[in-house]
Amino acid sequence: MSALRRHRRLTAIWASEPGWKGWFSTVNHTDVGRMFLATSFFFFLVGGILAMLIRAQLATPHSAFAGPEVYNQLFTMHGTIMMFLFAIPTFEGLAIYLLPKMLGTRDLAYPRLTAYGYWCYFFGGGMLLFSLLAGIAPDGGWFMYPPLTGPIYSPGINTDFWLIGITFVEISAICAAVEFCVSILRYRAPGMSLDKMPIFAWYALVTSLMILTGFPPLILGSVLLEVERAFGLPFFQAELGGDSLLWQHLFWLFGHPEVYIIFLPAAGVISTVIPVMCRTTLLGYGWVVAAAVALAFLSFGLWVHHMFTTGIPHMGLAFFSAASTLVAVPTGVQVFAWIGTMWKGRPELHLPMLHILGFFVTFVMGGLTGVMVAIVPFDWQAHDTAFVTAHLHYVLFGGFVFPILAAIYYWLPLFTGRTRFFKLGELAFGLIFVGFHGTFLAMHWVGLLGQRRRIETYDAEAGWTTINLVSSVSSFVLAIGLAMVLLDVLLHFVVAVRGRRNPWHAGSLEWAMPAPPPAYNFASLPVVETRDPVSSDPHLAVRLARGEGWLADPALDRRETLTVEPSSGTPEYMVIYPGNTRLPIVFAAITGLFFLSLLIKVYWLTPIALAGIATVGWRWVWSLAQPVDLGPQEAGRGERLPVSGETDRAPGWWGSAFLLAADATFFGSLLFGYAFLWTVAPGWPPPELLEPSLLELGVGLAGALVASIGMRIAIRGNRSRGTGVAGLAVALTGTAAAALAVASLMIRVPAPAGHAYDATLFVLGGYALFHAALAGLMQTFLIVRVRRGFTSPARRAEFPIVCLWADYLALVTILVLVVAHLPGWLA
Amino acid sequence: MFAGATLILAFVLVLLALAFRPRSVPPDERGQTRFWIIGLGLGFSMTILAALLAYGLTVGERLLPRDSAETVAVRAVAERWSWSFGYEELPGHVTENVLHIPAGRPVDVAITSVDVVHSFWVPRLAGKLDAIPGHVNVLRIEADAPGTYDGLTAEFNGEGYEEHEFLVIAHDEADWQAFLRGEAP
Amino acid sequence: MTDVLRILVAPLVWLAAFSGVYGLHGVGCAFGWADVELLSISLFRVALLAAWGAAVLLQLSLIPTLGSNRFGSAAPFVRRTSVALAWVGLVATLWTLLPVAVMSACD
Repeated sequence: MSALRRHRRLTAIWASEPGWKGWFSTVNHTDVGRMFLATSFFFFLVGGILAMLIRAQLATPHSAFAGPEVYNQLFTMHGTIMMFLFAIPTFEGLAIYLLPKMLGTRDLAYPRLTAYGYWCYFFGGGMLLFSLLAGIAPDGGWFMYPPLTGPIYSPGINTDFWLIGITFVEISAICAAVEFCVSILRYRAPGMSLDKMPIFAWYALVTSLMILTGFPPLILGSVLLEVERAFGLPFFQAELGGDSLLWQHLFWLFGHPEVYIIFLPAAGVISTVIPVMCRTTLLGYGWVVAAAVALAFLSFGLWVHHMFTTGIPHMGLAFFSAASTLVAVPTGVQVFAWIGTMWKGRPELHLPMLHILGFFVTFVMGGLTGVMVAIVPFDWQAHDTAFVTAHLHYVLFGGFVFPILAAIYYWLPLFTGRTRFFKLGELAFGLIFVGFHGTFLAMHWVGLLGQRRRIETYDAEAGWTTINLVSSVSSFVLAIGLAMVLLDVLLHFVVAVRGRRNPWHAGSLEWAMPAPPPAYNFASLPVVETRDPVSSDPHLAVRLARGEGWLADPALDRRETLTVEPSSGTPEYMVIYPGNTRLPIVFAAITGLFFLSLLIKVYWLTPIALAGIATVGWRWVWSLAQPVDLGPQEAGRGERLPVSGETDRAPGWWGSAFLLAADATFFGSLLFGYAFLWTVAPGWPPPELLEPSLLELGVGLAGALVASIGMRIAIRGNRSRGTGVAGLAVALTGTAAAALAVASLMIRVPAPAGHAYDATLFVLGGYALFHAALAGLMQTFLIVRVRRGFTSPARRAEFPIVCLWADYLALVTILVLVVAHLPGWLA
Repeated sequence: MFAGATLILAFVLVLLALAFRPRSVPPDERGQTRFWIIGLGLGFSMTILAALLAYGLTVGERLLPRDSAETVAVRAVAERWSWSFGYEELPGHVTENVLHIPAGRPVDVAITSVDVVHSFWVPRLAGKLDAIPGHVNVLRIEADAPGTYDGLTAEFNGEGYEEHEFLVIAHDEADWQAFLRGEAP
Repeated sequence: MTDVLRILVAPLVWLAAFSGVYGLHGVGCAFGWADVELLSISLFRVALLAAWGAAVLLQLSLIPTLGSNRFGSAAPFVRRTSVALAWVGLVATLWTLLPVAVMSACD
């Protein structure tokens, strides 16, 4: 088969539907990545316009431009959009687009989930955008401290838009994170062991693990606050045993890792771009990996440094002050590794490199002011002033926007297959750099003079007028610079000339394919022997197109790729992807309906939406049905591999494991909240404790164990006789018993709206009940599968997946019942 | 602190600039790793940060309120958008938006809130401390000289945030005694 | 997959110890344990120091374990990285929990 014929054949198999209709049914990572990036830059534009409005308001004292009602929405939405609708989605989009290409595979682990995540982001972002246009946007500041955002002081719908819209958008982050973890660990080119992974993949892996553990506390906080607002269950009201500090803990437990979730992908870009721009390799690859991992962990020990002024005992603050200084060490290691790389090679001042230099200057300054505010006494003065605002912009703009601009210009030739024609970018960089520093240096200064953040105006006597004016004027220079980048990129798509492949002479695999990339990425999958496969074999692209790698034969008209053992990179099994489908957008729309019903308080719609979610979810999984045993398949290079449905650890199992890690963090945060309220909140112990019930506890614990054991019987039955129905029926009975026990707990809670204790128990019970329903649905699904003949001793992959969820249910049920009954017994 | 930060920034910028000088580089990756990563990344960063942390912790510890016979106790209760202040030595007396303290004596302000989270901040006297519903936080302040000091709320609390201010009046000993006798100035 | 766990284990232990000691400190202050004294040392301080010491010992033991042939990785890259991160865990434990020895407990 000639390279051209193979290209046509593969394109027919992998391509999306032509035209705009393709947007709604595509599951291809290149398409979805582009859609993600386009949408996130749209939101960057919106957030930027809000920033301009803020600066216009603050340019002069007593400005009548916007009253507090509008101004509060402006700054809240500016922060919210930049954090949740720009920064995180940009990482997701970039990683979705790049990862499979860099890892030498054809798509991410769950193509339909990629698309689902995008549509959740699209609809959730749309909700927030609507609130902004309708003038009912959130106005409590982007970190939404209750009681200000609680039902009493913010009765309007504004806050609900934030809580519900952001939670909806977070789904896409969680989906993407699960998908990246599985893809990076398993979906790589054969031979790509951990030490040969492109450095960007390491950063993306670390970032994804952080999203899985960092976002659940925020989702929990949002759920609790929304439940308090909508149904009156008190969690944050002091007079009913709640504590507003709980929100601060949950929020910053997310909020600080968030900063590094934003910075690490950018650091991945820097670590990728600098060596190429300097014609060398990264200095200290292993050190940089270790530094990234260390940074990820340490960033979870920083959250209280946002709460230095809340009256926490000084030793408690000292732990976090110490961790906040220590976190600068791995950052320093990376910065010096990058400078060392530049010394090792010969830096060339291409446009991406300019932005990297902009990063260095800005980020180092942001890091230094960061170390200052890590020092408790300094923070007591600087906290909540414009100094902190300026610091965080130095870190985020320096640590994210400059690297992303570098990334845009670095990968643009790959995106479009063209070279730049107009040289607007260099001028734009100059304006951005000057404008940014003008804006935010001034803001540091005015903050030290005592200007608080979030004030809508100030007196002329304060003496801040000139500084604010400088800041505002500079911010418009910055905006013009960014607008020029936008223009440059748009012109690039329209009028630039076709360029050659791999213009930077980079060594990573995304350059071993035609540009713009075909839908299937690689005509055959490469065999990786070094960290820079394209450098060590300049003809790699041609050889892959000729079909000299794995999976070169498109004869079976299937979307195929293969997975590897995580650490060594030896091929393990083959994956056959589903094709184009509208299921993701439909699923996301129904998910959106669920959130919408909660937002506009049309509660009869909620169960309908939930039923819809279950139905579509069922179809989603059902469509992966494999009617017959396939046995080992031809994988090229004379090797045969089993298909994923005929293994014990299919992609679904890995995805479930990572999703459960996030789920467990959510549950852990809930338990933390329970313990926190018990020890710190005023008004505890509660007036009335739950009456312990041996029967409830016994039924629940027995049910949990039976559900777990039943699944093991089912696995064994399927393996020996090809049927697991008996075991599944046992497991389902156990699940039902567990559900019964936790439902009884929820009913017996004395007064859910009367005290935070009762409210917390109610939510704990609800959490367990939800998991029982989920496990029950899975078990029923599997029974139907078995009865219809879609399983066999070989086609066994779904059993371990359901077993995993049953085990988690058992764990949750036992813990919930025990922590609910314990206080009653001890009393 | 700012001088140190400027020095470090200058150091990094010089290193960056030197990377662009023309030169022939010896391919000694091991030595470079040792110099850049172990020497600068680990050694340099950790030395500076350890010193800074030690300094911060000591200062913070010294700022902690210590018991002393001289201490005056007052209460500050925040509410949108006003402050009311009560005095241990003058039970029942409440002042709105003006806090009276004696100059030259340590004052413990017990801060709380009846509605949302606020923050008590008198920039010239001390750092800030939050007023949180259901909690009482104690801040030690001390005015060296009699006079008037501006106070601010430093945690966003809704539409009246910008105007949410108060005054601290530090009295000399005679005035303070007069205040305590109820002869309010 | 075990290799990924080898890389993550030491920082995970740090995170657990850090959260644990912070939690212990919070609970102790909330319930007034700091005022219970024995031979003029607060028992609470002793408990905090013991927790810190245990965490340091655990981290110390991880370094040779991850470098050993029995428990360490077969891949040299993973072994080096996991040992480096074991050192990170040790330093982080010493550094971030140092306040239990030098700060006043509940003020």
